[in-house]
Amino acid sequence: MSDAQIVLSAILVITLLAQAFAPALRVLIVTAGAGLACLAATALGVADTGAILAAVPWDVLVILVTLGLLSQIFAESRLFDRLAVSATRVSGADPARLTLVFAVAMYLASGVVNNLTALVLVLPVIHVLLGLGGMSQRYVSWTLGVLLVACNLGGAATPIGDFPAILLLGRGNMGFGEYLVRAAPTTMIALVILLVLVHLVVRPARGIPSDPLSTRLTRAVMEALHRRVSLRRRLFLPAAIALGAMVVAWLALPQRWGIGPELVCWIGAGGALLACGRRGEGLARRGIDAEAVLFLLSLFVMVGAVSRTGLFADVAHALTELPVSPGLQLVIFLVLGGVLTGLFSAGPSMAALLEVAESLARDLPGEAVYVGLAMAVCAGSSLFLTAATAGPLAQALTERAELRDAEGNQLRFGFFDFLPVGLLSFALILAVGIAYALWSLGRA
Amino acid sequence: MSALPPALGQAFRIAAAELGMAAAARLFVDEVAAGGGAEAIAALRDRLGREYPVLDLAAARWLAGEAPPAIDPGPVIAALAGIERLVAVGLEVHHLDALLPRVPAIEVGLVTEGRALSPEWRRVLANYDGQVEAVGLSDFQLWAGPRAALLTFVYGGDSHVVHVSGQWLRVSGPDVRLIFRSLIGWDVVGGALHVYPRWFAEVARSSFTEVIG
Repeated sequence: MSDAQIVLSAILVITLLAQAFAPALRVLIVTAGAGLACLAATALGVADTGAILAAVPWDVLVILVTLGLLSQIFAESRLFDRLAVSATRVSGADPARLTLVFAVAMYLASGVVNNLTALVLVLPVIHVLLGLGGMSQRYVSWTLGVLLVACNLGGAATPIGDFPAILLLGRGNMGFGEYLVRAAPTTMIALVILLVLVHLVVRPARGIPSDPLSTRLTRAVMEALHRRVSLRRRLFLPAAIALGAMVVAWLALPQRWGIGPELVCWIGAGGALLACGRRGEGLARRGIDAEAVLFLLSLFVMVGAVSRTGLFADVAHALTELPVSPGLQLVIFLVLGGVLTGLFSAGPSMAALLEVAESLARDLPGEAVYVGLAMAVCAGSSLFLTAATAGPLAQALTERAELRDAEGNQLRFGFFDFLPVGLLSFALILAVGIAYALWSLGRA
Repeated sequence: MSALPPALGQAFRIAAAELGMAAAARLFVDEVAAGGGAEAIAALRDRLGREYPVLDLAAARWLAGEAPPAIDPGPVIAALAGIERLVAVGLEVHHLDALLPRVPAIEVGLVTEGRALSPEWRRVLANYDGQVEAVGLSDFQLWAGPRAALLTFVYGGDSHVVHVSGQWLRVSGPDVRLIFRSLIGWDVVGGALHVYPRWFAEVARSSFTEVIG
């Protein structure tokens, strides 16, 4: 390794470790790391700051911001409140069915809107249900855990669901339809297997009384809490029409027109915001997730600086030089990707691993590498509570809800409460991802 | 008693936080009666009555064959004549649901701080679709004026004292009486509580401009 590779990769790894250990300071840590990476790259003659900034995938940030704003319009329209009430009705407030119905609902919602937005709005409803039913610690851990994993799988199912898939779309690694038809069935298979295992083997609702009076009271209270909460059509319709038009544009616009996914997002979300009038203006001013943008921009800068040293190309080269079959090389890459994501979370891992994946995709079928990588990152995101996109938020909201079981004991949703769900989900999603990658490799 | 769910107390607390003690009591009595009849209502009163006096009163009334008190916003609307801004202190959704559609021209604020049981305010306010605004303890005085009134819910009492939520004590006071035109109490239980008025504070009936109900 050259001096530049050692210094810049050390800055990247130390920054990622520091932000993982001190999540409360993560934005400050990564922005400082990005500044340091630019300084080191300039001093070592790798590239100046202008060149590093020019290589930042701004289109990905545009997609992220505009889709975030579209999610905000859906949130303001109270779509998620209505969804949560419908899910309660469908489940009949039965503890075993609640987990399944809400997991499917969160999977579907996360495929279209930002995980965090969906979870912030649905979790309070789930907390009420957990509180009304006097659920056990085991039930709370597994239900909330499965919901988080369902969010991750939903985010990986579509090219607009979560950052890793957005990155693939934005960088042109895969087209919208190309990714959707491969990732959606794969994530769905993983979700179905997970839910079957949880429902039939783990059985978190075991031992929780599901008497008619409890379910009757739960349903009545839920209806009363949302008695006049209705869908705001003035907000919902523009957002739904814009999203529909964007999906059509992503699927149908010929590539030679040069209208990329970022421009579709820009025009689509902009149109929806304009149609919402003053509320749209308010959202555009205050609804942008500056924390996510700063965090990802800093990651792109650090990863870009390391990329300029040729380190990622060297890693990819070393991987392809391993004296094993291409299939096994890909499996090793995916397992490493999953573990790294578990440690560093999806954003940093995907930003770095994609550089290696692009090198691998020169020799291997792109769909096997990219969809396999998206699944591996999804598996890693589901390993620890800290790695899941919405994990820390779910933990904080659950603590604030002060849930108690029937005996009055405080219920938690912390790192170790999530761990059994995380280990099972990690193994399962990674196995499905590897199986898909090998199947795809075999077909090529 | 064993037929009642073990987490019933917690469930009532959640409902009371977000619907109000009287609205939650009415809902629980209706549902428990429909599910288990008089035996279940007696068990409910036995289990939770001491902790939740409004629930105790509602259950006692049901067992005695009495109907729950009717909700009539008419006298409150009359008391609000000429009022342009109303600050509600405390939460009773059945009463607010009955009142607010009848006073569309009045700007309504709801004090969201200082409650013993904290609800999910975003959801509470969503039920009023923009008609009700959240008001903090530090800024409710901005709503004061000669055409402004304070409203709280009263949970029984006698000719000298009435029971109100503790939140009312943090809002009302001699200085506040001077800056709002009216301080209105709306009795939501229509009778004296049978057990110690836990969750409530006792204030002089005369501290209100008017007690309705």
